[in-house]
Amino acid sequence: MADPGFSSTKRDPIKSSVGNAAGIRRREHAVTVGKERRESLVRAKRLCRVGISDVEVDVESDMMIDEEQSILESQTSLAVQNLKSALAYQGKGAMQKRVGALQKLRRLLSRSEFPPVESAVKAGAVAILAQCLSFGSPDEQLLEAAWCLTNIAAGNPEETKALLPALPLLIAHLGEKSSSPVAEQCAWALGNVAGDDEELRNVLLIQGALIPLARMMLPYRRSTVRTAAWALSNLIKGPNPKAANELICVDGVLDAIVRHLTKADDESATEVAWVVVYLSALSNIATSMLVKSDVLQLLVNRLATSNSLQLMIPVLRSLGNLIAGDSHATYTVLSPGLAVTDNAIQVMIKCLKSEQRVLKKEAAWVLSNIAAGSVEHKQLIYSSEAVPLLLHLLSAAPFDIRKEVAYILGNLCVAPTKGDEKSSLILEHLVSLVEKGCLPGFIDLVRSADIEAARLGLQFIELVLRGMPNGKGPKLVEQEDGIEAMERFQFHENEDLRTMANSLVDKYFGEDYGLDEL
Amino acid sequence: MEWNPQTRQFLSDCFLHTLSPAPEPRRRAESSLSEASNLPNFGLAVLRLVAEPPNSIDEQIRQSAAVNFKNHLRLRWSSEDNPILEPEKQQIKTLIVPLMLSAPSKIQSQLSEALAIIGNHDFPKSWPTLLPELVSSLQEASQSSDYVKVNGILGTANSIFRKFRFQYKTNDLLLDLKYCLDNFTAPLLEIFLKTASLIDSAAATVPPPPAANLQPLFESQKLCCRIFYSLNFQELPEFFEDHMKEWMSEFRKYLTTSYPSLEGSGPDGLALVDELRSAVCENINLYMEKNEEEFQGYLNDFALAVWTLLVNVSQSTSRDQLAITAIKFLTTVSTSVHHALFAADGVIPQICQGIVIPNVRLRDDDEELFEMNHIEYIRRDMEGSDLDTRRRIACELLKGIATHYGDAVRNIASAQIQSLLSSFASNPTANWKDKDCAIYLVVSLSTKKAGTSYVSTDLVDVQSFFQSVIVPELQSSDVNGYPMLKAGALKFFTMFRSQISKHVALQFLPDLVRFLTAESNVVHSYAASCIEKLLSVKDEGGRLRYSSADIAPIFAMLMNNLFNAFKLPESEENQYVMKCIMRVLGVADVQLDVARICIEGLGSLLSEVCKNPKNPVFNHYLFESVAILVKRASERDPSLVSVFETSLFPRLEIILSNDVTEFFPYTFQLLALLVELNRPPIPPIYMQIFEILLSPDSWKRTSNVPALVRLLQAFLQKAPNEISQGDRLTKVLGIFDTLIQSSSSSEQGFYVLNTVIESLPYEVITPYISHIWAAIFRELQKRRTVKLLKSLLIFISLFLVKHGWSNVIDTMNAVQPNIFSVILTQFWIPNLKLITGDIELKLTTVASTRLICESPVLLDPAASVSWGKMVDSIVTLLSRKEQDRVEDEGDMPDIAENVGYTATFVRLYNAGRNEEDPLPDIKDPRKYFVASLSQLCAHSPGRFPNVITENVETANQEALLQLCNTYNVALV
Repeated sequence: MADPGFSSTKRDPIKSSVGNAAGIRRREHAVTVGKERRESLVRAKRLCRVGISDVEVDVESDMMIDEEQSILESQTSLAVQNLKSALAYQGKGAMQKRVGALQKLRRLLSRSEFPPVESAVKAGAVAILAQCLSFGSPDEQLLEAAWCLTNIAAGNPEETKALLPALPLLIAHLGEKSSSPVAEQCAWALGNVAGDDEELRNVLLIQGALIPLARMMLPYRRSTVRTAAWALSNLIKGPNPKAANELICVDGVLDAIVRHLTKADDESATEVAWVVVYLSALSNIATSMLVKSDVLQLLVNRLATSNSLQLMIPVLRSLGNLIAGDSHATYTVLSPGLAVTDNAIQVMIKCLKSEQRVLKKEAAWVLSNIAAGSVEHKQLIYSSEAVPLLLHLLSAAPFDIRKEVAYILGNLCVAPTKGDEKSSLILEHLVSLVEKGCLPGFIDLVRSADIEAARLGLQFIELVLRGMPNGKGPKLVEQEDGIEAMERFQFHENEDLRTMANSLVDKYFGEDYGLDEL
Repeated sequence: MEWNPQTRQFLSDCFLHTLSPAPEPRRRAESSLSEASNLPNFGLAVLRLVAEPPNSIDEQIRQSAAVNFKNHLRLRWSSEDNPILEPEKQQIKTLIVPLMLSAPSKIQSQLSEALAIIGNHDFPKSWPTLLPELVSSLQEASQSSDYVKVNGILGTANSIFRKFRFQYKTNDLLLDLKYCLDNFTAPLLEIFLKTASLIDSAAATVPPPPAANLQPLFESQKLCCRIFYSLNFQELPEFFEDHMKEWMSEFRKYLTTSYPSLEGSGPDGLALVDELRSAVCENINLYMEKNEEEFQGYLNDFALAVWTLLVNVSQSTSRDQLAITAIKFLTTVSTSVHHALFAADGVIPQICQGIVIPNVRLRDDDEELFEMNHIEYIRRDMEGSDLDTRRRIACELLKGIATHYGDAVRNIASAQIQSLLSSFASNPTANWKDKDCAIYLVVSLSTKKAGTSYVSTDLVDVQSFFQSVIVPELQSSDVNGYPMLKAGALKFFTMFRSQISKHVALQFLPDLVRFLTAESNVVHSYAASCIEKLLSVKDEGGRLRYSSADIAPIFAMLMNNLFNAFKLPESEENQYVMKCIMRVLGVADVQLDVARICIEGLGSLLSEVCKNPKNPVFNHYLFESVAILVKRASERDPSLVSVFETSLFPRLEIILSNDVTEFFPYTFQLLALLVELNRPPIPPIYMQIFEILLSPDSWKRTSNVPALVRLLQAFLQKAPNEISQGDRLTKVLGIFDTLIQSSSSSEQGFYVLNTVIESLPYEVITPYISHIWAAIFRELQKRRTVKLLKSLLIFISLFLVKHGWSNVIDTMNAVQPNIFSVILTQFWIPNLKLITGDIELKLTTVASTRLICESPVLLDPAASVSWGKMVDSIVTLLSRKEQDRVEDEGDMPDIAENVGYTATFVRLYNAGRNEEDPLPDIKDPRKYFVASLSQLCAHSPGRFPNVITENVETANQEALLQLCNTYNVALV
């Protein structure tokens, strides 16, 4: 559930006398019905194909063989049986035998795009593998067992659930006493477990996976940091904010985030940035701590210097969440006049210019929240080269981007308000944006099927009607077929929109309007 | 109410009697039912009656019970007043689903609506069993292919999911949506695919199965599509994204396949298949608008399918709804990022010829509407209510394509227009519709330009099109020939009125007047409208283009034809003609004899509408016409006032005595206008009206109040002596006292009081002053709204400037010792900054300035803090912009004050009151303030600057200094 203290009202300024605007729309709605989108990267679950440590050298038997799925399945059942008997065997070379059996199973599970997870689970692999994870076992055995479990956990949700008995041991091996390859492999397995099911995430949290995973993010070892960060990003993704709240309070985590964002390679920084995405989306405490650290500055720098889409997405999203989540971000860190603020606006412009739709949309969202800041923020954006870009996007971009852009332009035209006051206009911005032709874009939104967009469009029309000098507003709105657009709501089932549209038409185009002109 | 044989008998009898043709038993049954509906478990008992087996209770009775049950739920399910209690609700919820599913169709539809009402309030949180119950019944019904049940369930689901189409995206709504998605999407897809395969195999069967077998299947698919729309409206759910292919391939099938056995079975069959296709078009339009990225892969196929479909549909007359939704889809594509689909060679011409032109061409039903229902025709054709007509939507498609391919569209459209015109020229009698089509295209594709009513087009040259195409119609000697072409020509003239030069337009003005006599209601309405709009054209600088001299030559004929138009059938209350009369009377130079004729004409119309006021727009313009005639003609020739009085009084009296409440506000405004036009002493007849004005009954309707206040003010100004006599003033002040007690009318109350203070000599008011103060103080005790405080300050200020500060202070303190200083410090000083309006600002500034410069109470050194604070407040008032100092307060409507029928107050524009400035000699309040202050300072140098430094805010000290600099005075 959403953190109740989290209903920030940052985006509120575009509010009108006829109705209240949307509050800020946080990136992570507490409830999502859409597909989780992490863009161009299968993030939630990862199959482990190639070993993470140098233990694995057995290359030639790892060759991909195009076998029939059914053969693969029967081989897997057999491999599990072999492992069982290897485990029962207590004689000379028992250890070798066990590792050999594990490797055989692991290879079968790593071989194809669709590993025979179901057969392995049916054959009872999980219990046996859990047994292989018992304390005091040699690293090689632990590693192989964890690897097998990693790939089993990458299966469908039901198969992932089968891992339940193995979880306490996987978590136990995350500790400092384990060798880092073992710990890392266990983290990987746990990351898969946490991938797509809230119930399993809760089990992991209750069993104490969070703190050891968090500690793995502290050292410098690249691959460990990467895997741990990825697993953590899965583990804390909620919707309950409790895990995110806990993570940020673990000693050293904040420093580690700052350090990795400063120095880490793109790949590791990407994983760390995803952790920041969820921290900032879900946790008030985390957001406020992150904002007070150097993170905003670092995120801006990363955006400025990188061209990796995979990195830019979580970085941009984190930036947006932080700005939306804590007014300190806009009013203190990104205050007008500071170099970082100019840089932030520059990187947003860079993203708006990008070919990548997702970057455009995210950047517009970030800017809309900065545009909800002080009058000086609005002036800064207004005088930047963002405006021509935004005007173009408002008329030519796909719907979702147009809607975000409309929030920015709308926010540029109203001064911040306190409480329930009527919003006052920034006339200069309104007049110039209208003269540059933004009104048709807003009226198009009124006609769209999306009711939030329609509301935004109506609110902007209200500004134009009320604010344009010399009573030009009504003429402009009429000329762009705005009356017709508003009349669509005459009998709309959304009461708020209906009242808003009808009262605007009545007020500005009622009988009196006719009398003067007619 | 307990369910037992007696109850069963009682209810069954009641419902039987409600169907009785005899009024007496019917009314008795209705009142018994309404009484019984207050008992607990009434709803449940009625539902049980509905559930009785068909052989024991007649279906008619059960049906009427079902209707009653639904209405009962609508009223009582969650009302404040006597709601249905929780245990009864629980039982109803348990019974209703199976009952609805097994009921015959007429009862089923009632119960389904009832279920939707419950769902609106209770689903899903307070009705967790509903969805699982629906899902399991759906699966059962699907297995047995029982499509009556399937459709019942889908219909119910459709109504409970509808809210996702119009509510804002909140977490609560998304939670509900997620719940519905989690439970319903898979079964929905399952039944959709199953029905699809049934349709497929039926379509492949030879000979085809009878239409009756197919009909429920299509019904079912249509419902699935509607549910699809609701569930996809907020955002694209994961399930639908994952299964897009399954949905889309079926969707496409319905657009591309024809089902001859059903479509050929009669109009209903085709309509049903078309409804399914429309629902599909709405769904793909939604995806195109909101999820175009995910939908992209299917776009080409769908665009082709819709386009091909449209070429067929456009030829047929009865498939409007499908044509409209399909064209809308293409329009969405044309304006989207994927508009390149239209870029290919030949696409735009084909769309223009195959889709746009056929849909724009007049059809039989357009002609029928033109003849049979001119009001609706005009509404659609002229007033933009044609959003959902195929003519308009087809033009929208062209406009849509033009956003990216403007030149191509322009070239093709103008070529089309030329070819339509030459086709007309080759055989005007047979091809007149081609000309209509050409005119429609020019008008609909024109764009409005900035400024007033300037419309432009780049498809044709307006002047030459007017001369060659429109003028021949206007000059046609037969006003009744080809009425639709005449209407089109008049509409063109109206639309492009700004561009037709004055001398050209005047040349055809007599023709417009001639068309007022056309038999066709649309034609004479358009002629009236065209004249009316021409007379309101303004040139640069806001000057009217046409003057009285321009219409003088045709004036007599014009008025004659206008009044005669009301005699044409169905134009007895033609609002366009009436509005034209108003406009003409506003421009023309009305001589005495014409004025007599006009007032008689308007007067008899007034007598007529009083009998049964029907058309509020017509009535409004009628009263406006009277008002403007009375006002303009009397100002020109004061002797006319009595002529108007003679004509109007009997009619206004009828309105008042017959209680035609709709017209009361108009009547009072007209009377006020007449009172004001009179020179004192006013005729005695007015004093009779004044008595009506004083009766408390007149004031009970809030809609009357503003007009009554306006009339009372007119009396106070024009007949102060008459009002001072007898107990009239007591009554007037009684009205003031009543009005200020309700927050909705308190301002009006103060208008009355202010007029009293302004118009009557001080001696007349003196005896009442203490009562006035007492009433005001009483209200201040009750509430201190911004409105009340503002009204108070304005009243005190007016009192002060009219009768001096000492009278103000003394009379106040006479009510309660020392209350003046309380009012001053608690109300006046802190709220002065709330004053808005130029006259009000000047008045309060002057009053406040006089107080601090003249009254010993404030000049006393002991009062120096108050003195300084008052300066501070005045500076705030004068130096800050209105919006920076004033906060709006929400208005609480006073519903209790509305008595009976609620006529609304509509202001008569032409009977408006001129704002009076109580201080005409003072032009600039800022100058007055600093000059007075500077004079005061000069009398005691050194005294006031200190007081100012100590009590005035720093920012205001600077503002004060600036004001002094502006007017070149100094404070010493």
